[in-house]
Amino acid sequence: MTVLKVAGIFLTAFFFGLTFEGIGRKITARVQRRYGPRWYQNFIDLFKTLSKHGYTHGWIFDFGVIMALGGIIASLGFVPVGGIVAFPGMDNFFVIVYLFTIGSLGMAMGMVGTGNPWASIGVARALTLMLGYEVPYMISIGSMLYFYRTSSISAIMSAQGGDWNLFKFPIGALVALISLQGMLGKEPFEAPIAPAEIASGPMVELSAKYMGLLMLMNTFMEFAEISLFVDLFLGGGTYFVFLLKYLVVWVLVVLISSVLPRFRIEQAVYFYWTVPIILAFVQVFMTVNGFVF
Amino acid sequence: MQSLLLYLAIGALVGYFLSMINKRLGPIVLLALSLYGLFTLWNMPIGSVEDLFGFEDILQFTALSKYFSIITLIVFSCYAFFNIVWISKAKRPYAFSALSILTLFGTLGVFLTPHLIALYIFWEVAVVASLFIVPMGKEESKKATIWYIVISSIGSYMFLYGTFLLYSKFGTFNLFEISGDIASEGTGFKWLVSLLLLGAGVAKSGIFPLHVWLRNVHGNAPDTFSAVLSGQLVKMGSYIIALFLGAFPIATMFSQFYAGVNIFSYVLIWLGNISILIGTFMAIKQNDMKMLMAYSTVANGGYILIGLALLDQVGFAGGLFHVINHALAATMIFLSFAAVVYRTGTTKIDEMGGLIFKMPVTFVTYLVGIISIAGIPPTSGFVSKWMIFQSLISKGMFVTAMFTFVGSIGSFLYVFRPLAGVFLGQLKRKDKDVKEAPMIMLLPMIILVALTILWGVFPQQVLVWVTDVQRQFGMEPFKFDGTVLYSNLGHWDSWTVFVMFMVGFIIAAVIYILMPKGKKIPLDDQYTSGEFLHNFDLYHYATKYYAFLEREYEGHPSFEDWYTSIVNVLKAIGKGVDYLVRRTASAYTFWMALVLALLLWVRW
Repeated sequence: MTVLKVAGIFLTAFFFGLTFEGIGRKITARVQRRYGPRWYQNFIDLFKTLSKHGYTHGWIFDFGVIMALGGIIASLGFVPVGGIVAFPGMDNFFVIVYLFTIGSLGMAMGMVGTGNPWASIGVARALTLMLGYEVPYMISIGSMLYFYRTSSISAIMSAQGGDWNLFKFPIGALVALISLQGMLGKEPFEAPIAPAEIASGPMVELSAKYMGLLMLMNTFMEFAEISLFVDLFLGGGTYFVFLLKYLVVWVLVVLISSVLPRFRIEQAVYFYWTVPIILAFVQVFMTVNGFVF
Repeated sequence: MQSLLLYLAIGALVGYFLSMINKRLGPIVLLALSLYGLFTLWNMPIGSVEDLFGFEDILQFTALSKYFSIITLIVFSCYAFFNIVWISKAKRPYAFSALSILTLFGTLGVFLTPHLIALYIFWEVAVVASLFIVPMGKEESKKATIWYIVISSIGSYMFLYGTFLLYSKFGTFNLFEISGDIASEGTGFKWLVSLLLLGAGVAKSGIFPLHVWLRNVHGNAPDTFSAVLSGQLVKMGSYIIALFLGAFPIATMFSQFYAGVNIFSYVLIWLGNISILIGTFMAIKQNDMKMLMAYSTVANGGYILIGLALLDQVGFAGGLFHVINHALAATMIFLSFAAVVYRTGTTKIDEMGGLIFKMPVTFVTYLVGIISIAGIPPTSGFVSKWMIFQSLISKGMFVTAMFTFVGSIGSFLYVFRPLAGVFLGQLKRKDKDVKEAPMIMLLPMIILVALTILWGVFPQQVLVWVTDVQRQFGMEPFKFDGTVLYSNLGHWDSWTVFVMFMVGFIIAAVIYILMPKGKKIPLDDQYTSGEFLHNFDLYHYATKYYAFLEREYEGHPSFEDWYTSIVNVLKAIGKGVDYLVRRTASAYTFWMALVLALLLWVRW
């Protein structure tokens, strides 16, 4: 049963993740008054890149790519997707957060392993940005774990009932949403990729199937991160309700990113360490003193 | 226990003379003694009591002794194994071997006795023995030794003064006898004694404000000895902290402050917070890989202190577990650095690059080491971080949690710097002929890698030791069932996580293998923004890796500078005195004038 559930999560992430990405591209295009690609363009991109002969820079590059995708797949298995909870009780928040980093580390390692300095700069920026967004995110989620006396995502999800945490912890939700924007690497927190500035940063040396594998990893990562937000703040819900909520959050994120310019990396970190951290502590103060709506 | 200590004391002499026959015999003696010690102490029942040199019941084998001795002996075995080859590069191989054995003698002695004076003597043996090894390192190591001795003596004299204070009150040096009576003393006395005794631990484990010696000493000591310094000698400080926090009834001695944590623990937790902050941000800006890991030791010392000071079911266990994690990881990392230095002769990150293709096993050791330091599953580093986080969140200590999060995410940043600068990137032309370290060096590293992953997936063995310690101190032991670990905020299963990790990895690998094969191209076949490059040595991003982040805290206050200015004030006073006692005309005039003035004043 667990195997089936895990497979279900993977397949959902694959089909809906890619579909929603395609929709996101369309929305960005329409905001910018372009026509935009078809909604299934990302499937085409993925299969096309995967089927071509690429270039590799040695074993660490290959290993890094596998580790990146493998780590993200592993952490995705622990994320509850609506009604599908593969490991009830075992989906500990910190386990998921730290499992994610395997994938990020693998990607960082493989890309720097190409020997291209643009990749190193991109990774250095990505890590610095991570120092920015993770801290307020973990504090604001921490206040929820404290309130519910559990760090299991599925337990928090079901404890909400119809009463969403979005309204119980409004400031925490805002902090998590701001952090989510950084986690997804969307504008204004897009400095690690910055195509026009540092030649796509970590992705500079990618070709063919390596690009495809990392595109898949990116899709899974986005899926897991937004799913966590939906589970924690929007109460999860049944399968299709969950996907609807997911779509709403995703469209919001895409809309924000399509109209904003890019922060410099130190501006982004400075921003995260002032506004969201203070807001997160406001939320913590409210939670500890019992001001939960 | 007595016989083991005796063997070690004699072994130091034997090691010295055997080294004269063949340099490699010194480390072999240390290896044999460490393995013998590991075997004896692993099988020794907890609670055994022995005499030492005719003094009754000095040695006492507690659960805490067992835990720390095993960590020490693992670290020393790997260190000795590694040294069998490395010793050829040592400056004074005979003394180096003998003093290494003596260091082991001292530290094991510290762990095996609750008698405060005996503990102090063993402590000083360990400090003095290591003190003479440190200046055998780089050029600046002689200066580093001064930092080491000064800060160590601050700690040990505080300890000694606290010991005498206790003796004058209770008439005994046995810690466990004292701890029963101390709760009824006055508040001032309790604060003074606790701070004095823990001062030694704070100084030794590199906690703020006595953290300044680590950068100099770890950075400049002989390459392999840095592994012992960070992996083991610093843990002596953690031992003192764990021993006093556990043995003294801290919770009843001091008043409660917040969330069931008493005020004294809270002071310690704040010291830990500041240590994490300093260690993390200073490590991020280091260009010397050994100094970088030295600051990482400061940050991890903070984690251990926070965990221990929480004094509860989950947090205390997390702090203790973090001791073994950091000991293994630091040893691994410093040994891999030693291998790199052995082959390339430099510790500056931006003078290397691309070594992964020349030293793959060393790279893997470093990789697993940093995964453990950064607290990523499936290594053992995650287990302890999870425990500390759970405890902090369940108590609602969010400010401390913030510091631990910053330290945890920050550790990704600083551990990546040597990874990218030394092992990945462009291979320097001067390093074209570098070979992998010899097999003897690789073996201990591989063993440490295996242990870290083994205890990350199956943490039961370590948890048994940890819970034994908690039971001994009368705490509620950490709850675990096989590989499932429980806290009051839920549970997780390290085995499930590992299986899922493997599943993910296999899926990724299958997709990878099924798809068309990539063509291998050399490192200088790169996107170069259209430039035509001749020297790929320069096409490597390693200098000022986090320049954009470093800029944000450039003008930070430095305790090292502050201590240096104190030294300068002392020096100036010394110079003044020196000037006045020298046989010069002006000095004579000064004294004459002074005497005359005195005479006049008295006569008046």
